[in-house]
Amino acid sequence: MTENTTTEIVPTVSVTIDGVALQVPKGTLAIRAAEMIGVEIPRFCDHPLLEPVAACRACLIEVEGMPKPQPACAQVVGEGMTIRTQQSSEVAKDAQEGVMEFLLINHPLDCPVCDKGGECPLQNQAMSAGRGESRFEGEKRTFDKPINVSAQILLDRERCVSCARCTRFADQIAGDPMIELLERGAQQQVGTASDEPFDSYFSGNTVQICPVGALTSAAYRFRSRPFDLVSVPTTCEHCASGCSLRTDYRRGVVTRRLAWDSPEVNEEWNCDKGRFAFAYLAEGRITTPLVREDGELRPASWPEAIDVAARGLAAAGSRTGVLTGGRLTQEDAYGYAKFARAVLGTDSIDFRARATSPEETQFLRAAVAGAPIGVTYTALEQAPFVLLVGFEPEDESPIVFLRLRKARTRVVSVGAVATRGLDKMGGELLAALPGQEAAALRDLPADIRAALEQPGAVILAGERIAASAGAPSAVSTLAASTGAALAWVPRRAGERGALDAGALAGLLPGGRPLIDAQARAQVAAIWGIDTAALPGLPGLSGDDLLTSASRVGLSALLVAGVDPVDLPDPALALRAVDTAAFVVALDHHHSAVTERADVVLPVALVTEKSGTFLDWEGRPRPFGQVFKDALTMSDATVLGMIASAIGTSAGAWDVNGIRRELTALGPWQGARAVVPGVQPQAAAGAGFRLASWRELLDAGVLQEGEPFLAATARPSAAIVSAAAAARLGSPATVTVTGPAGSVTLPLEVGAVLDDVVFVPMHSSECSIYRDLGARIGTAVDVTAGGAA
Amino acid sequence: MTLTPVITEHWDAPDLYTIEGYRRFGGYRALESALKQDPDAIITTIKDSGLRGRGGAGFPTGLKWSFVPQNDGKQHYLVVNADESEPGACKDIPIMMANPHALVEGVIISSFAIRANHAFIYIRGEVPNALRKVANAVAEARRAGYLGTNVLGSGFDIDIVVHAGAGAYICGEETALLDSLEGFRGQPRLKPPFPAVAGLYASPTVINNVETICNIPYIIDRGLDWFRQFGTEKSPGFKVWAVSGHVNNPGIFEAPLGITMRQLLEYAGGVRGGGNVKFWLPGGSSVPLLTAEHLDLPLTYEEMAAAGTMLGTGTPMIFDDTVSVVKAVTRWLEFYKHESCGKCTPCREGTYWITGMLETFEHGHGRESDLELLVSACNQIAGRSFCALGDAAATPYPAALKYFRDEFVAATHTPVDDTFDPVASYIHAGAAAR
Amino acid sequence: MAELPQAVRGFWVTFATMFKKVVTEQYPEDSHKYPTQPRFHGRHQLNRWADGLEKCVGCELCAWACPADAILVEGASNTDEERFSPGERYGRVYQINYARCIFCGLCIEACPTRALTMTNAFELAEDNRASLIYEKQDLLAPLLAGMQLPPHDMVPGTTEQDYYANRVKGPAAVEGEVQS
Repeated sequence: MTENTTTEIVPTVSVTIDGVALQVPKGTLAIRAAEMIGVEIPRFCDHPLLEPVAACRACLIEVEGMPKPQPACAQVVGEGMTIRTQQSSEVAKDAQEGVMEFLLINHPLDCPVCDKGGECPLQNQAMSAGRGESRFEGEKRTFDKPINVSAQILLDRERCVSCARCTRFADQIAGDPMIELLERGAQQQVGTASDEPFDSYFSGNTVQICPVGALTSAAYRFRSRPFDLVSVPTTCEHCASGCSLRTDYRRGVVTRRLAWDSPEVNEEWNCDKGRFAFAYLAEGRITTPLVREDGELRPASWPEAIDVAARGLAAAGSRTGVLTGGRLTQEDAYGYAKFARAVLGTDSIDFRARATSPEETQFLRAAVAGAPIGVTYTALEQAPFVLLVGFEPEDESPIVFLRLRKARTRVVSVGAVATRGLDKMGGELLAALPGQEAAALRDLPADIRAALEQPGAVILAGERIAASAGAPSAVSTLAASTGAALAWVPRRAGERGALDAGALAGLLPGGRPLIDAQARAQVAAIWGIDTAALPGLPGLSGDDLLTSASRVGLSALLVAGVDPVDLPDPALALRAVDTAAFVVALDHHHSAVTERADVVLPVALVTEKSGTFLDWEGRPRPFGQVFKDALTMSDATVLGMIASAIGTSAGAWDVNGIRRELTALGPWQGARAVVPGVQPQAAAGAGFRLASWRELLDAGVLQEGEPFLAATARPSAAIVSAAAAARLGSPATVTVTGPAGSVTLPLEVGAVLDDVVFVPMHSSECSIYRDLGARIGTAVDVTAGGAA
Repeated sequence: MTLTPVITEHWDAPDLYTIEGYRRFGGYRALESALKQDPDAIITTIKDSGLRGRGGAGFPTGLKWSFVPQNDGKQHYLVVNADESEPGACKDIPIMMANPHALVEGVIISSFAIRANHAFIYIRGEVPNALRKVANAVAEARRAGYLGTNVLGSGFDIDIVVHAGAGAYICGEETALLDSLEGFRGQPRLKPPFPAVAGLYASPTVINNVETICNIPYIIDRGLDWFRQFGTEKSPGFKVWAVSGHVNNPGIFEAPLGITMRQLLEYAGGVRGGGNVKFWLPGGSSVPLLTAEHLDLPLTYEEMAAAGTMLGTGTPMIFDDTVSVVKAVTRWLEFYKHESCGKCTPCREGTYWITGMLETFEHGHGRESDLELLVSACNQIAGRSFCALGDAAATPYPAALKYFRDEFVAATHTPVDDTFDPVASYIHAGAAAR
Repeated sequence: MAELPQAVRGFWVTFATMFKKVVTEQYPEDSHKYPTQPRFHGRHQLNRWADGLEKCVGCELCAWACPADAILVEGASNTDEERFSPGERYGRVYQINYARCIFCGLCIEACPTRALTMTNAFELAEDNRASLIYEKQDLLAPLLAGMQLPPHDMVPGTTEQDYYANRVKGPAAVEGEVQS
């Protein structure tokens, strides 16, 4: 059910259910109307977000004037209808009990060892709406168990009650109809095509909505029972969609994560990455502070490590660069923003562990930082037209993808690849070479410009606009000239929060310009420092920061969870870390940075602290601490300890204190930076243009330790157009060569522009930055074959 | 009551299946007159004729047509249900084999009436010869200008697609047929919306049985009064009766509605070997069985309903004393179990359970308490399943128990093959064996 | 007799008893026979199938049934390379804390594979608490003749159902029809 956000009055109808008269909105289903008076009708196939199918027949009710019992899940309430449920009708009660008996005749007595036991709708409703004793004494039908419908999803067919929730979800919601009911009668079963597993990004939802234990995940199967688990509502840390999750843990280890209800955001769904990628929370953690001594890192006590870090950072002072990465909570990012300005006196801070450009920096300062919630999921659902620029929703923000698909909005993507996701949204491609989106936006066809001028039209700009010269300027101009709403959809969960917290050069918290006197005064007052102590001029960001550090322009680096392989020039990043005289790394897992750091301080992960992620809408998604007795400390707490050791307190460093400061500051109301005005640049070089983005499931650090999930990722391939493939002689594999090297990948033909090759940005087989030394839009060589 | 061959009148003509043969007996004359009429007038004519669907349910055809919203600017479709797969029903396939042009002409007239420009004939896939005959008739009609654009200069465009099913009984259910026709797995659809509003490709669609459609040209050609002289007030017209089972001369007899089974039996040469009718079904396995005491009931929709059964497809099956009712019911339930599509719980699980219990009776170790349990299980299916297949599956046993309880009780201790010699009941056992 | 002193009557009882059958059992000196009934709830045992594979599937129902919270089980997945039990899972960790166990037997009733049963062994006294926590290796039944120490494969040609239906009678012997 969609939220009714309009104010118009919904017509109602009068209905009598079990003798209770009530008014319900027109079009309400009997099963929901009954819920309104507290009558729960048993159901299996019914799901509020799926089309009614009336297959399980568990919800039969008596409707006056109809000769047969009717399924409440498909019966629309009519004016003056008299409905009797199992509460007041023997017919309905008998029908429901009969169906329940039927459902159980072929259901195995697996309950003692079934994962669903204890939270099973079949168990519960057999108790509430069944007869207690079965009269069936025949032989149950059996199947071999279990079968893999994908590497991650397992199916025990004999447990299935054929409610078709999973197949309808896959078809209606995810758009991946890779599972379907096969065979008929009692042999009916869910299955896949023989050579096509259920490798949907959303497959885990089917496990959650299965009303029996037929679908289970390899990650959770037989791991625990629901009554063993402690459940905590949390927010997903994997992307900026901002899904509500429920994290279940047992004996101090997270055993599973479920999508949790959040009608405004993720409804009841989430993606497989958010659901299954949590093994990293427990595995491979840095457990103690480490200090470098005689060239080797050795474990150290917290006081010693803090002391060493404080001395080194104090010595570097304003000549320190701060790289925070995109995974921090808003509170932690705020800690870095404050630590840099108030404690170190530097403004050289950047949260973006990805391709950036000064133009994007300008764009973020002008159009995004501290802006109130503008475009929302609901707005997307109601938009008449959505233009995507540098953004592949299915990979980069899956819940945005689901919402666009649900809305059946007209979607046009400015890019070089007509992706599977675009196809599933029914979208069209507006051809633009990688990195040349700005030119396409300048020469926009008249019909698209007209579509953008409709009220409610939206432009969604992804983080990859940073890799396209002129694109941030072009989307800003386009939004201003057409009146379309503009939203920036970053990929990482912490980017929007970090931006609003001021973890970017030139920006103070709440989108305040560093150079604005009033903004400086507000922030200095909250931090309890002298305005003059704040850095006077905007510091370095992006590539400049790294370049400067690599040339001894900066003498210290403070790095939080940045993996150099995520940066467009990994070698430059490592050189910067190597060159800097003093490096402090706050991290939870070892990386190329921690290996080179002088002090490594272990910090808490999302389960060990509370915090807030701002989703792409700018909506705060706060979450509580899962493990209440965790000994690890959040980044901000650790920074506070270093600040104390240095001798500057600068206000609060705990979550609640930081939240109070953020609330006190509020968003900036004054003048903002102007949007950039960079002109499109013509492409340089000849050959194939490289199109690339981070696929949802790839070699990301947070997906480590979950092989079943990784096995459902899309296989890495170089994708070219049919014409280009023919030119290459349609080989099985091709070698893609960039400035720094080459990779050999299977060749795949896809809806890609000619002279464009798509290569995944960071899969297990290849990383364009590390292996090719190429960026999006770089001209690369593609040759047939290679050392496969 | 005498036979009144209409659709079957010239079946002995060796070339009736060709367009020349069909035209020699007045074929396509009705089409020419129909195309000069207003489509609504044709709908009114069919409404007034009182023609009821011959596929089993007996729904008034004209009324069904009138449900299609007219002038809605949408594509309309006519779909002919030729997926005849009911056990015991064998009338549509012979009609299509012998007189396919009557079907084609009926389709064109009906499409014209409901303003459909596309018609589909969904033929059961197991009968390729019927499929070939109809496909050939469609090709001939197209060559003769009865199909295509601007048919006979009337400005009416029509094309017919002949489609073969893939062997599922459920696809005889009209909405499952539509799913199958659209290329999906054949399973019944949720109603509403009804096909008349959103059927094939979500457009207004009329689905009629082969025999129903074959009636149309004759009604148009010969008029209302001619048609209504046959049959009764509530069941006007004639019917193609396909009599099968233990009779001397099984076959197809076209006679007015209201004829009795005893009269039909006479035409069919009586029970083989001069034996007795033990039980019989008026129309397919999906209707409750009747016994010898019902032989004099008029075969009309209303009389059959009053007797607690249904006219169904109008294809009586006769069983003599050699047949074990337990075994017959078990075979029927095995059919429904095999053909249940699996969509809804009562039919999917109910047929599984009931069949399992009936098989214990067949093998002589049923339990007497199961007799009532079976009735209860049938009642848990009837009226609660998604489509009529479940209702049909719940039909045979209660009726059989009503008339032949003793046989079921005997099957609690003696295998039915010991009580009834299975060989004696074979059709080819014939009179000689007795 | 009424006048006979009470003390003498008392000694008479003592004297008469000397000629009665002795019911006291000399434990532990005379421990050749156990003083327990066959149904006595003693120390637990984790049983094996006839080929030596473990019966425990790591379902933890015993732990859930335990009113004294004395049992800890951690299951793990069998692989084709390393198989401890038929089917998907086995009990990787199995501990019973006899400082907590009340020998009620609910755990063995809960066991779906009859992996856990109770023996008559009752000599569980220890001088420290740690030794009272019995690990899997302390609880597993001994390997009888024909049994092989897991991990090893299931008997060729059998499925887990054959084990559960008790059709596997030894490392190579299978009784009756085997489900394919």
